[in-house]
Amino acid sequence: MNNQEFLLDGGFWGWLYKLLTPIEWLMTWIMNLFHEFLTFIGMPQVGASWVLSIIFLVLVVQACIFPLFYKQMKSMRHMQAIQPKMMKIQNKYKGKTDQASKDAMQREMMKLYQDNHVNPAGSCLPMLIQGPVFMCMFYVLSAIPYIAIGKRDTLGAFDQATAKQFADTHFFGISLQTRFTDPSTMVGGKVVIGLFVAAMCFCLWFMQRYTMKHNTAAASMNKQTETMQKVMLWGFPIMYIFSGIAMPFAVLVYWLTNNICNLLRSVWQVHEFPTPGSPAAEAKKQRDHDRENRVRAKEGRLSLEEEELERAKQAEAERLEKGFQREQPKRKNRKKK
Amino acid sequence: MTSMAGRVMVRGVRWYQRRISATTPPCCRYWPTCSNYAIEAIERFGAIRGGMLTALRLLRCRPWSDGGVDDVPQRFSLFYRFRWSKAYEEPRYWTDSTIPPASHGNEDD
Repeated sequence: MNNQEFLLDGGFWGWLYKLLTPIEWLMTWIMNLFHEFLTFIGMPQVGASWVLSIIFLVLVVQACIFPLFYKQMKSMRHMQAIQPKMMKIQNKYKGKTDQASKDAMQREMMKLYQDNHVNPAGSCLPMLIQGPVFMCMFYVLSAIPYIAIGKRDTLGAFDQATAKQFADTHFFGISLQTRFTDPSTMVGGKVVIGLFVAAMCFCLWFMQRYTMKHNTAAASMNKQTETMQKVMLWGFPIMYIFSGIAMPFAVLVYWLTNNICNLLRSVWQVHEFPTPGSPAAEAKKQRDHDRENRVRAKEGRLSLEEEELERAKQAEAERLEKGFQREQPKRKNRKKK
Repeated sequence: MTSMAGRVMVRGVRWYQRRISATTPPCCRYWPTCSNYAIEAIERFGAIRGGMLTALRLLRCRPWSDGGVDDVPQRFSLFYRFRWSKAYEEPRYWTDSTIPPASHGNEDD
C-alpha cells in the first residue's frame, strides 16, 4: 500500500462516490453492528470477526435482492396461463422477418403482458443498482486503510480506531488490505489471493455451465446462441482474473461469498423453476410425479399409474357392454314411437 | 446533429447492447427496451433532455411495474406518461411504419 493521498476521492470518481455516500454509510453500519454483536458473544476484536462481518454484509445484500428474484420466478409460472394467447400472436406474424412486423408483434405481446399483469422479463433498474452497490463496497474497503492512518475523514461507522482494527485483521495469514499487484506482497499472500480468484472463476464458470446444461430448452438453441454462451462461459471468468488481482483482499472475500450465493441461488432456481422444455423441467416433472405417488401411497389411495390403468379398464368394460358405437343424443321431449 | 456528449452517450449505450446485454437474458419490461429508448431519446432530444427521459424510464422499469409499450414522446415532455398532463400520449401498439394487423380492421379500405 502506498501512503499517498486517497486517489478515489479526487476528480470524477470522487464526485460519484460522494453521491453514493448513503449506501456507503449503510454498509459500514451493517458491518460495524454485526462486528459488535460478534465481539459481544466473545470473539476477538481483531481477526475473523471482521471477515465474518464482510460475509454478513453479502448475505444482507442478497437477502434484499431475493424477494425481487422470487417474485420474478413466480410470475414465470403465470406465463403458462397466457401461453395460448401468445401462440396466437406468434402465429399471426409467422414467417415475417422484417423489422416492422417484429416491432408490431412485440407491441401486441407487450399489451398482452400488460393486460394480464405478467411480464417474463425482470427489469432494468435492479441490474443497474447492483453495479453501484459493488462500487460502494470497493470504495469502503479501499478507504479503510487511509482512515486508519488518518489521511481520510471518518466514513460512517468507521472512525480511526475501528478502521485500525480492520486494517490489522489477518485472514489466511494475509492482511485484508493486501493486493496481488503490490510489490510488498509475499509469495504466500499471492498464492492465497490466486486461490481466491480461482475459486471465484470456478463458481461463475460452474454456474453458467450448470444453467446451460440443465436449463436451456433444446428448441431454443441455435448456432448464434451457442457461440454466445461459449463466449460467456469462458470470457467472464477470464475478466475476473484481471480485475481480481487489482482488488484488495477484503473485496475478494466479498466477491467470492457473493459468487457462492449466486451459484446456490441459480442451482435452486433450476431445481424449482426450470425453463419449460429443458432437461431440468423434465426432471422436475418426474419428481412431482413421484411425490404425488408417495403421498397417495401414504393415504392408501391408488398411485397415478394404477389410477390410469383402472380408468382404462373401466372404459374397456363399458365398451364391451355398450358396443363401440356412440349412443346418439336424444331430444328430451321427443315423442315415443 | 446531436452534440458531442450525445454521441458519446449513444456510443456507450450501443457498447452496452453489444457487449453486456447480448450475453444476458432479456430483462426489460418495456418495448422499446430501455437501451433502445435511450438511443432514440438522445438522438431526438439531445444529451440533456434525452438523458432525463432515459433516467425516468429506467426508474419505471422496476420489478413491480406492469411494463408495456412506452415510446419516446413525439413532443418533449417529462410528463407524457401522466393522464393529467397536456402532453399525455396514448401508448402506440403499433407505429405508423407498421401495417395494422388484419384482424383489427383497416379503416382505409
